[in-house]
Amino acid sequence: MSRLPFAGIRVLDFTWYAVGPVTTKYLADYGADVVRIESAARLDGLRLAPPWKDAKPGVDNSQFFASFNTSKRGLALDMSKPRAREIFLKMLPWADVVSESFTPKTLRNWGLDYPSMSAIKPDLIMLSTCMQGQTGPHRDYPGFGNLMAALSGFYHISGYSEAEPCPPYGAYTDFIAPRFAACALIAALDYRRRTGKGQYIDLAQYEASLHNIAPMLLDYFATGRVLNPAGNRSERYTPHGAYRCADEDGHERWIAVAVADDREWQALLGVLGNPPVDVRFATMLGRFRNRAALDEFVGSIVRIRGAEELTVALQAASVSAYPVQNCMDIHRDENLEAFGFWHWLDHKVMGPSPYEGQEHRMSRTPGGLRWPAPALGQHSDEVLGEILGMAPAEIAELKREQVIY
Amino acid sequence: MRSELLKGMRMLDLTDEKGALCGKMFADMGAEVIKVEPPDGCSTRKIPPFLDDQPGLDHSLYFLAYQAGKRSVTLNLESADGRELLKQLVKRSDFLVEGFPLGHLESLGLGYATLTELNPRLIHASVTPFGDKGPAKDYKATDIVSWASGGAMFMMGEEGKPPIQMMLPQAWLHAGAEAAVASMIAHYPRQVDGLGQHIVVNAQACVVWTLMNEQAMPLLHGDYLRRSGVFTGAIGGRRKTVYACKDGHVSFLIAGGAYFNSSNAVIAWMSEEGMAPAWLAKGGGLKSLTPSGFMAATAADLKELDDTEEAIQRFFMTKTKKELWQNILQRRLFGAPVANAADIANDPQLKARDYFVTVDHPALGRTLTMPGGFAKMSETPVGPQGAAPQLGQHNHEIYGGLLGLTNTEIVELRATGII
Repeated sequence: MSRLPFAGIRVLDFTWYAVGPVTTKYLADYGADVVRIESAARLDGLRLAPPWKDAKPGVDNSQFFASFNTSKRGLALDMSKPRAREIFLKMLPWADVVSESFTPKTLRNWGLDYPSMSAIKPDLIMLSTCMQGQTGPHRDYPGFGNLMAALSGFYHISGYSEAEPCPPYGAYTDFIAPRFAACALIAALDYRRRTGKGQYIDLAQYEASLHNIAPMLLDYFATGRVLNPAGNRSERYTPHGAYRCADEDGHERWIAVAVADDREWQALLGVLGNPPVDVRFATMLGRFRNRAALDEFVGSIVRIRGAEELTVALQAASVSAYPVQNCMDIHRDENLEAFGFWHWLDHKVMGPSPYEGQEHRMSRTPGGLRWPAPALGQHSDEVLGEILGMAPAEIAELKREQVIY
Repeated sequence: MRSELLKGMRMLDLTDEKGALCGKMFADMGAEVIKVEPPDGCSTRKIPPFLDDQPGLDHSLYFLAYQAGKRSVTLNLESADGRELLKQLVKRSDFLVEGFPLGHLESLGLGYATLTELNPRLIHASVTPFGDKGPAKDYKATDIVSWASGGAMFMMGEEGKPPIQMMLPQAWLHAGAEAAVASMIAHYPRQVDGLGQHIVVNAQACVVWTLMNEQAMPLLHGDYLRRSGVFTGAIGGRRKTVYACKDGHVSFLIAGGAYFNSSNAVIAWMSEEGMAPAWLAKGGGLKSLTPSGFMAATAADLKELDDTEEAIQRFFMTKTKKELWQNILQRRLFGAPVANAADIANDPQLKARDYFVTVDHPALGRTLTMPGGFAKMSETPVGPQGAAPQLGQHNHEIYGGLLGLTNTEIVELRATGII
């Protein structure tokens, strides 16, 4: 196997929660030495969040934290203490990248903004990712990705109607921004290699996420039109949506179906046993104009079918369809299995625990989950010994003073 | 001005909506992205809705947004001459991204094995619905089908009603962005050793990565989450996440843990305005919530939370989105307006950061305003490099300038339907 793409790249990673850690995970899973610096006095909230091993809370028991921090080393410092900041500054020349995702004033208060750090390490690349960016009147807004999903328009376009918003699950924008941030970071590393220049990256979760609703913003600016939600309505496909199938072992099952044209409509009817069809549904236009009735018609026939067998039959007839999978179904999904998506890694405290893997695969330099997430301070001794040559006695002393954990 | 970040890099973009965002991100970073379209145009030109509701080839809002800054050449891959032309382009390119059904390029003699022989540097990303290994690898999928397959759809919507999509389908955007990251990862070592590779992106897996680790819940806590409308499905309590207000909705959550201070701050605000119920005002805030959250909430705790939510709902109905947002910012509450396109377009924060960018679209005879750089980079600014191209707009530039064909040859290609 080839050397991993980022072997030799070193990252001091202050990020927490989701956007930052998922971003630096791309580097870590591909060989970078990412040292997660955790401020033990102010823990990464995900360490306290479920799901937990054996459903028991604990700083080293969260799979939520673990899944986002594979292949990294863990160093626990109390950054509110001057000694911890001195230690960090001594480590700084070792790093290629410093990343952080606090509200903007946090690092400034520690005296660790980009100008002061690049004075020590001139070609440093630094990534700051907060909610709304490092400048502007709302820069200090604290929040989570669920709130950002509301502010960025995703809540508004999710629902059965404007009066009935139904937000996407969880901190949705937390899972948009990392891909943009990772691109910026890797491209900055490439640029530095070409030119010798580091740089500062200010990535607002808000601004990156708006790219996922760009068409409706473009429309508003051009014509003043505001996009509102309308359930599963599509202007391209009909029937289009989720239709309830037969329950299985008391669990409700649904199938997602999208029909693009007359051929697919006939194919769908064939799979459904060529039932008698309302004359209004004879043409594509008729089906678009009578969506509600059409949905009811399809739903009434599909209700007795199994989601899996119907999917197989529709796909055999070349119609887009798949079961609407719940979080248990995806663990039994043969395609994710065949792709090698799920991994059980042996975490220091949690033991064998379930990690989601990569969403892509590479032919020549495959990356992967090199090791599970670090327990709090798991690599403190190792990292300080290796990077600063700190003696065990000194580390022990700093631990007593609760500078290091 | 073209960003310096990926200046000199060239990407061939053969995607439809399965991956269009990948090329857009590369264009924003300064790569030259050549959109290779069939002679009758990429299918993304036909995605509704349309600008001014005019379904012309240049009017799809999707196309205008996600093909911005790319160049367009037409090329008929069904013809042998067209395939030769693509090979010539491949020899001069650094990246290729496509979203064809598995095996389609191979059937045209343009599979990765062939392309890498022509250009060992090539990084070729294939964006697929279900990967390239499992029983569904050849399944057809639209965005909603991918959204369903990865678990996001099941959790959106109200109990008893169908699971739902978002009005701007999202699954393929995640897959496109993932193709961009993976291509960048492959780029980094390639610039040293000169060797490209093949990448397979799995859209279903990309959707799983939007679930905020909820996917581990059934394995560790024994059950999967049901959709519950505007309520969170958090263990131990159904908490409301969206409240109605005077002119729309606002997202707000009362809870313990990180939300504890914010929860009590809104009650303090209600007290200031005389709108906190006496029992709540007198107690000085919620008692049920401890900083460790409401995992161990009792029935009495949950009753208090439900009653508090009702009081907050009454209070928010007296406020506009704007008033709520101002107070959220000033009082450091964990909340946000449920913003629509108009709210976002007029957000003073985005204005202060000069976020939106206006580009000229000569063919439409107007300017278009769209999201700007996805990040602010101090040395190498990124952002839209121009408007989306007209069909075949750059045929002469690319076939003449890059491949060195004469005008006569280009005319010949056009006359024979190859471009």
